[in-house]
Amino acid sequence: MCVTALAAFAVTIIFRTSTTANFAQGAISAYGCYVVADLLNKRGIPVYLGVFAGVLVGIAIGVFIDLLVFRKGRHVNELGKQIITMGFVSLFFGGIPLVFGTPERIPFEAFYNTVKAGTSPNFVIPAFGGEIVITKHAVICLGITVVVLAVLFLLLKHSKWGLGVRATASSEFTAELMGIDTHVITAISWALACALGVLAAVMYAGGGTSISAAFMTTIQVNAFLACILGGFSTFYGPVIGAVLIPLAASCVGFLANFKGFYGISRWQMVIVYVLLLIAILIKPEGLFGKKTLKKV
Amino acid sequence: MDIRQEYLNAAYPQGEKKNLGGNIRAAFANPIAQIALVGVVLALVQFLALGGAISSAFAYALGNTLIYAIVAIGFCLLLGYSGLASLGTAGFIGLGSYVAFYLIEGMGAPYFVALLVTLAVSIAIGVIVGFISLRIEGIYLAIMTLALAEIIRSLLMVLKATIKINIKNIVLFGVNVNEKAVYLLIAATFVILMMLTSNLIRSPVGRAMLAMKDSTSASQAMGISLMKYRLLAFVISTIYAAMGGLLYMMYVRNMTTATSTLLTLSTSLNILGAVIIGGAKSLWGTTFGTFIIYGLQSMFLSKIQFFVDNPAFITMITGLLIIVVVMFFPGGFAQMLSSLRGWLRRKRVERRIRDYVDIQN
Repeated sequence: MCVTALAAFAVTIIFRTSTTANFAQGAISAYGCYVVADLLNKRGIPVYLGVFAGVLVGIAIGVFIDLLVFRKGRHVNELGKQIITMGFVSLFFGGIPLVFGTPERIPFEAFYNTVKAGTSPNFVIPAFGGEIVITKHAVICLGITVVVLAVLFLLLKHSKWGLGVRATASSEFTAELMGIDTHVITAISWALACALGVLAAVMYAGGGTSISAAFMTTIQVNAFLACILGGFSTFYGPVIGAVLIPLAASCVGFLANFKGFYGISRWQMVIVYVLLLIAILIKPEGLFGKKTLKKV
Repeated sequence: MDIRQEYLNAAYPQGEKKNLGGNIRAAFANPIAQIALVGVVLALVQFLALGGAISSAFAYALGNTLIYAIVAIGFCLLLGYSGLASLGTAGFIGLGSYVAFYLIEGMGAPYFVALLVTLAVSIAIGVIVGFISLRIEGIYLAIMTLALAEIIRSLLMVLKATIKINIKNIVLFGVNVNEKAVYLLIAATFVILMMLTSNLIRSPVGRAMLAMKDSTSASQAMGISLMKYRLLAFVISTIYAAMGGLLYMMYVRNMTTATSTLLTLSTSLNILGAVIIGGAKSLWGTTFGTFIIYGLQSMFLSKIQFFVDNPAFITMITGLLIIVVVMFFPGGFAQMLSSLRGWLRRKRVERRIRDYVDIQN
């Protein structure tokens, strides 16, 4: 849920400033995650430094992509830009095995085990006559996500950079006329998005998932759907969408506890996606989106 | 004679004596003839492979690529001619393959029954997507079709984990056929669909779609029914994709739903990429793009030892190629070719005019 929220925010910020859906989000995140994993496992660097380095790599990749490709490719139409990001997907999918060798592994097992060591990995809260089990990993992730997103939203709302982003998002051309350096704004957005992506990937992998070049694809698909559900026209919509989708999934899963709904957990994602489809058909601009009027 | 007439004569020479070469060239200016010629060549590949002149692995890879080419032509009609972006291609392919599995393996139905059912199912799905496309547009539509593909994928995963068709069960014209015959079927399907599509895009329907792509408002004002043509575009492209899935199942005959890359986003993106780098408005360009994305690796590069040792390089090269083509040639290879042709013609005209001026002096 936290991972999807971060990824959804990353997708939105690029979509708003560069008018493209970044399909390479997952691949870039995976790349950063590999960097972190290598630093952790081979060099024995502490986790926090490792994540910091991974985020730096993400920033570097983001700025690199923006400077080298998107600044030059402004005349390329909207669809073309998406194809370019798709090209990056291939590039990273090919690059990751070349740079990091073995394609699949569980990188944070050691880290995960040290967190587990000594204390129980879970918090157990007695409630509703039963017990709710929450892993410490989930709590840490939730904490990081809330802090990061809170800081970002405050920056968006109150800083000069945030104003620049919002202006660029509503109209790049006008923003440029108003003296905003849109080049810098888009570069920062790319850097931010990629950094968030790396953070999300590390958090996801920290849960004990094995990583591969494509391990973020599911998260990315869900992030896209969250963006559509929440509406691209606001920054908070996608984040709420990202919370809603897993929530709906667990609600459907919860139904399986009742009689007569026993087999429903197999159909969990199908039901959630169908609900999503219906929601979009009823409100095409997203739950929090604004209607855009078209002039002829 | 005035200078303008002279110029026109020089630039566009008329009434040149037609020789045999000219006649042949005129005959093959007809797109249907071109497609038929390619079909003959494609069929020849299989017979040469049977004779041992070409490795059968090459023929097999070619057949595989042709399946994707069939899907890509349908997508070309959707993207290049109707301006509708879809990321649901993988789901539609999956649909076709599962219909093939249940009918051919489960019920022992012959090919043509499976084909008819595939058509019916894909028309139904196409209509649904078409109606969605009336509500939302652009990237939103693309992501919604992605959601639809995910629905289909999850559905298929619940239904059956691994699907397999026994080669003995594939019946065509009342006889059991092996994969070599399925290759010919693929080639035939490719040729027929190519002919149909190339006729369609030059028909009023194709023109209406083009108008719709350039401006929905203007085309509606001209009396083009948005609903009719959007539904039609989605139905056609879904049919092509589902037929690709059907043929894939008959050709490869084995798929594990959870791990198969055929059903994931990457297939949809690869088809999109093939259409874009080939040139979204050109059928031959699209076919060529498919060969770049799918065929290059399996048919040619897999022979070179370096790439066998480092398959990751191929993926990287494909990615780089896509980025470079889109950045510098937004119209794809088709545009590259036509601008090259234009440049050559301009050079030729310049030379003729220079000669003419020289003679006058």
